[in-house]
Amino acid sequence: MQRRAFLHNLAAVGAISCLPMSIQRSFAAQAVAVSVEQLPKLEGEITLYLGRGEGGLYENVLEAIRKRNPKLNLKIRRGATAALANSIVAESKAGVKRADVFWAVDSGAIGLISDAGLARPLPADLIAQLRPGFQYPQWAPVTGRVRTLPYNTDRLTAEQIPDSVMALADSDLSIGWAPAYASFQSFVTAMRLLEGDKVTADWLRAIKARATTYAGELGVVMAVERGEVDLGFANHYYTLRLKNGKPDAKVALGFTKNDAGCLVNAGGILALSDGDLPINFIRYLLTEEVQSYLASEAYEIPLVEGAKPPQGLPPLDTISPPKIDLTQLADLRPTLNLMRRVGVL
Amino acid sequence: MSLTLGRRWPASYPLALVIALLAIVPVGVLVGLASDSAELFDAHNLRVLSNTLLLMVFTVLGSVAIGVPLALITAYAQLPWRRLWLILLAAPLAIPSYIGAFTLYAAFGRGGEIQQLLGWPMPAVNGLPGATLVMTLYSYPFVMLTTRASLLSLDASLVNAARTLGMSIAASLWRVVLPRVATGIAAGALLVALYTLSDFGTPAIMRVDTFTRVIFVEYNAFGLSQAAMLSLQLLVIVGLVLFLESRVRGNKERPGRHLTLWPSRGQKLLMALVFAPVLVLAIVLPLLVFGVWLWREGTAGFDASYAWNSAHASFLAALVAVVLAIPVAHAAIAGRAGRFMERLTYFGFGVPGIVMGTALVYVGLQLPFLYQTLGLLVLAYVLRFLPLAVGSVRSTAEGLDPSLVKAARLLGASPREAFQRITLPLTIRGMVAGAALVFLEAMRELPATLMLGPTGFETLATYLWRMYEAGYFGRAAIPGLLLVLMSALGLALMLSGERRAEFDVTGK
Repeated sequence: MQRRAFLHNLAAVGAISCLPMSIQRSFAAQAVAVSVEQLPKLEGEITLYLGRGEGGLYENVLEAIRKRNPKLNLKIRRGATAALANSIVAESKAGVKRADVFWAVDSGAIGLISDAGLARPLPADLIAQLRPGFQYPQWAPVTGRVRTLPYNTDRLTAEQIPDSVMALADSDLSIGWAPAYASFQSFVTAMRLLEGDKVTADWLRAIKARATTYAGELGVVMAVERGEVDLGFANHYYTLRLKNGKPDAKVALGFTKNDAGCLVNAGGILALSDGDLPINFIRYLLTEEVQSYLASEAYEIPLVEGAKPPQGLPPLDTISPPKIDLTQLADLRPTLNLMRRVGVL
Repeated sequence: MSLTLGRRWPASYPLALVIALLAIVPVGVLVGLASDSAELFDAHNLRVLSNTLLLMVFTVLGSVAIGVPLALITAYAQLPWRRLWLILLAAPLAIPSYIGAFTLYAAFGRGGEIQQLLGWPMPAVNGLPGATLVMTLYSYPFVMLTTRASLLSLDASLVNAARTLGMSIAASLWRVVLPRVATGIAAGALLVALYTLSDFGTPAIMRVDTFTRVIFVEYNAFGLSQAAMLSLQLLVIVGLVLFLESRVRGNKERPGRHLTLWPSRGQKLLMALVFAPVLVLAIVLPLLVFGVWLWREGTAGFDASYAWNSAHASFLAALVAVVLAIPVAHAAIAGRAGRFMERLTYFGFGVPGIVMGTALVYVGLQLPFLYQTLGLLVLAYVLRFLPLAVGSVRSTAEGLDPSLVKAARLLGASPREAFQRITLPLTIRGMVAGAALVFLEAMRELPATLMLGPTGFETLATYLWRMYEAGYFGRAAIPGLLLVLMSALGLALMLSGERRAEFDVTGK
């Protein structure tokens, strides 16, 4: 399927979301997760800073929340996740407060906010809904994603994918990447923390020599499928979404072992204002309906206890992600400086 | 007015001074910000600088290469439907270049629209060559129009003399005509340079690291001081171009009957073949691509409030700009000091939207009641586009015969009544024209709107940008077409002005 047709399918998914959420409930596993039916109605004005990156799917979730809560005046400011995180910090320094909640597609940006001491603590019952290992006092991971190496199945076999992401630097594969994308930058941050700055800089230089740059990771996966490059760097769900629209797509997921190449990262949400409204708004994102919608349509990994993982992804326990505290990924500035210094940004 | 007031300052001076000072506030802010721990220059800057200059130089060369021959043809050649050709060839001005960049980017390349519809593999349009192509396609009309105006002011007798002395048509055009319109070409080329320097959307879509794009990246990392430093570097180049522009003087040749060329059928065909690709790429292709998207995806996701927001903010900007332009224009007519104040307000037009945005975000952070409000956005529009209003108010006010007001005063009218019954009715046309220009420019403005708009305030331009970033290209059709339509109205205004100029030359 062509690029536009694929995007067209994504748009059609948008139409599905207009259906009542209760239809999707039937897909849910043993419902431990809370349902929207159990939640209080939202009332009042709230400003959400939405770090985009997932196109219309998050918008669909927000539209559904709006429909369900007619008395909620939800204002959305959209921007790149890192940009909004920086805005929030700059605003607080200047004594201006605009955002009540911040939904980021990357935990690095979340860490930036909590390091600045701006995140409000979450209630214990909310934290308890999350999977063990993803429970944090100041922010709630909404969905997870794995760094993967999507590869073209005409050109490569699973055996040819190296176990180590570092080994790619010495291979002769052609590579697609999107260095401006927040998830990629978090991946580089993880590599910096695991391997050190110098090794990371050398690695970036070596890859750069054989890499083609794309605007986003959806672009990377489509380029791999078209055969423009052998292999790429992208979050897992882009491949699964592409294969959903085009089952015979010539692309498969490759995983490295125990290094930054298979980092499990999370997007999440945090409250910047006190009061019930921001907290209750966050609860909506952790409901079974939203979680299963994001899993089935966006192929993101639900992080609430009891919600089913997306189809097509190997079980999480077969992946061996590196041991890293996600909030450490907030150390983004040095990453950007390093990437700029070696000329990949 | 200046006669009766004697040594006292003209009444419009204090207000004009305040407005002029306001106009240079952004630069002061940038200087303050940049002095705060920004690196002056590094290797990365050098690349940005060379990209920016290369894009500027290539675009100017491309625009001259296309614009000058087209000016010759539209000014001198006797073709059927001359007026139509002129309008069509000037039409790319009606399309914001970021729309052209967006559609060309989507149409070409592997899996692009052309390959999907026709099956022809196409090279991708991106990088420096892509940006140069797009910028040339959408800015050559500047060169064409200024050159054409100079051509129309020439007297054909020199060419006839050269022809009598045995020079061929081509040689006489080259050696007799072109040197005399060099200033016209230069004026157009400098406009192109200015436009290229200030454009943000095209380099961003084509992924060339020019100043505007890198400033946006730094702003997004909230490296405000670094963004300010880069902005100042960009302003230095802009200032240089503005300076050069002010040095370009139109030649004062006594106009006569101008040249007429009668191309043969083969020559007409050749012209059409050479210039058809320009029109196809600049106008037909974007409209086709939007048409295809509209047909394929309909109007999904579009909300009429985006158009309303655009119109609303632009209308406010137009209104405020005209109100502020009146004292400035009057001060400019009243005396030399006023003329200087007017010059200061012109600075805003040279400040790219992204630079204005950077400065005003900082102002907003210091003055929280302004931050992320419509007021600050309108202020940005006004500061940027005030010169358009000033210029148009001033030129009508200058044409006003002062004896009319004196006569009214002599007949017993108070100054207020004289203004209401004489001055205002006679200058209202200029005010409306100025307001219309500000409205249309504000409607198209992208980067400042992205940076300064209130939360949830989506305009046609920002919605278009968001759809580009999210990859939902199809949803860009409606806002894109609406923006083109609005801009076409602006072009109509401009061309009607140009037609007047033509009458001045030929009618007398």
